[in-house]
Amino acid sequence: MPPRPPSIPLVSQRSAWLGPALLVCLACGGCGSWSWGRRSAGPAGFGLGPSNRQDPALSGDGKVLATVVLRGGRDSLLLQEQPSGRELPLRQLRRFQPHRSPSLSWNGRYVAVLGQQGNRPIVLIEDRASGKLQRLPLPGDQAVERLSLAPDGRRLALEVVRQGQSRLELLDLSPLLEPDLPPGLLRSGGGPNPADRR
Amino acid sequence: MAILAAPLLLAMALQGCLGQMPLPMGSLNRKLEAIGSSRAPSLAGRWLALIGGQGGRDQVVLVDLERQLPLPLPGLNRPDAQPLAVAVDASGERLAVVRQREGSTELVLYRRNLMALEPIAMQPAGVPRRISLRADGRELAVEVSRGGVWQVDLIQLP
Repeated sequence: MPPRPPSIPLVSQRSAWLGPALLVCLACGGCGSWSWGRRSAGPAGFGLGPSNRQDPALSGDGKVLATVVLRGGRDSLLLQEQPSGRELPLRQLRRFQPHRSPSLSWNGRYVAVLGQQGNRPIVLIEDRASGKLQRLPLPGDQAVERLSLAPDGRRLALEVVRQGQSRLELLDLSPLLEPDLPPGLLRSGGGPNPADRR
Repeated sequence: MAILAAPLLLAMALQGCLGQMPLPMGSLNRKLEAIGSSRAPSLAGRWLALIGGQGGRDQVVLVDLERQLPLPLPGLNRPDAQPLAVAVDASGERLAVVRQREGSTELVLYRRNLMALEPIAMQPAGVPRRISLRADGRELAVEVSRGGVWQVDLIQLP
C-alpha cells in the first residue's frame, strides 16, 4: 500500500463507513502528494493543434484567471472567468502587445501586465471597472522582467534588471488606485500609507 | 496679477500630475537592496515573497512589509535546492515554490505554522515553472510543460 498522504486526516476505526473513501484517497494519493481537485485551464484554442498557455495569475478570490497565449502571432493576455472559462473583455491593453507577467487584484478589477509601447517596455494597469488605463513610466536604464500586484491594488512589486543584476522595487499605488477589497470589507478611502515611506 | 497666476496654475497642474504618480517605497526598497540580488516577486496582504541571492546561493525570502523584516522559514531553504518561482497567500501562511533539486524540477507547498513541506505532483507528469496562489491559499495555478507545450493546471489544495 502506498504511504498515506500527510494531509489526509486520521480516521477512527469505528468510522468504518469512511474506509472506502479513505482507500480511494490513498489509491489516488500516489507517492505522498496531492492528486485530487485538479483541472486544466484548457487549451488556449485559437488555432489548430495544441498551443501554449503561460504566465498564469489568479485573482485574489480565484474567480478570474489571466494567462498569456499566442494570438495573431503575438503574446496576448487572456482573461477568463472561473470556472466557466468565459473570456472577459479588455478594453485598453490590446494595443500594447506582446504581454507578459500578468497580475490581478482581489476581484480582478485591476489587471497589471508588462507590455510594449513602440520599442519600449511599459508597465500597464487596466481598471476593468472604469476602463481607465494607467501607464507607469520606467527609467531608461532599467528592464522590467516580472511584476506582482498586491491583491488590494495598493502596492506593485517590479523585478528590474540594472547592469545585469536583478532587484525588486516596490511602488505605492494608493495615489492611483482605489483599493480592491474582498466583498464585505470597508474601503479604506485610499491615500498613501505613511508607514510605506518611512 | 496675471503674472502671479501663471506660476500658481503651473504648480497646481504639476501637483495634479504628481498626485497621480506611483510612489517608490523608499525605506522598503533600501532594505530589499540589502538582500542582494532579488527576483520573482509575489505580493499578498502584508507579505512579499521573493527569491533572493547572496554569495551565489538563492533562497526563498518572506518579508513582512508592515514590520519591514524578513521572517524565518525553517525547513524550506536547503543547500541542494535552487528555487525558481514562489507564490504566497494573503495570510503569509502558505508558500508555493517551484525548485530544482537533484536534477529535477518539483513543486512544493510550505506551511509556515507547521514548518513543513509537502510535494505537489504534476499529473499527468510535466515540468512546472510559474505559479500563482489564490489569496486564501486554497487554489494554485501552475504553468506546466508537457510534451513541448506549456499548459496551465488549476490545483485545489486542502
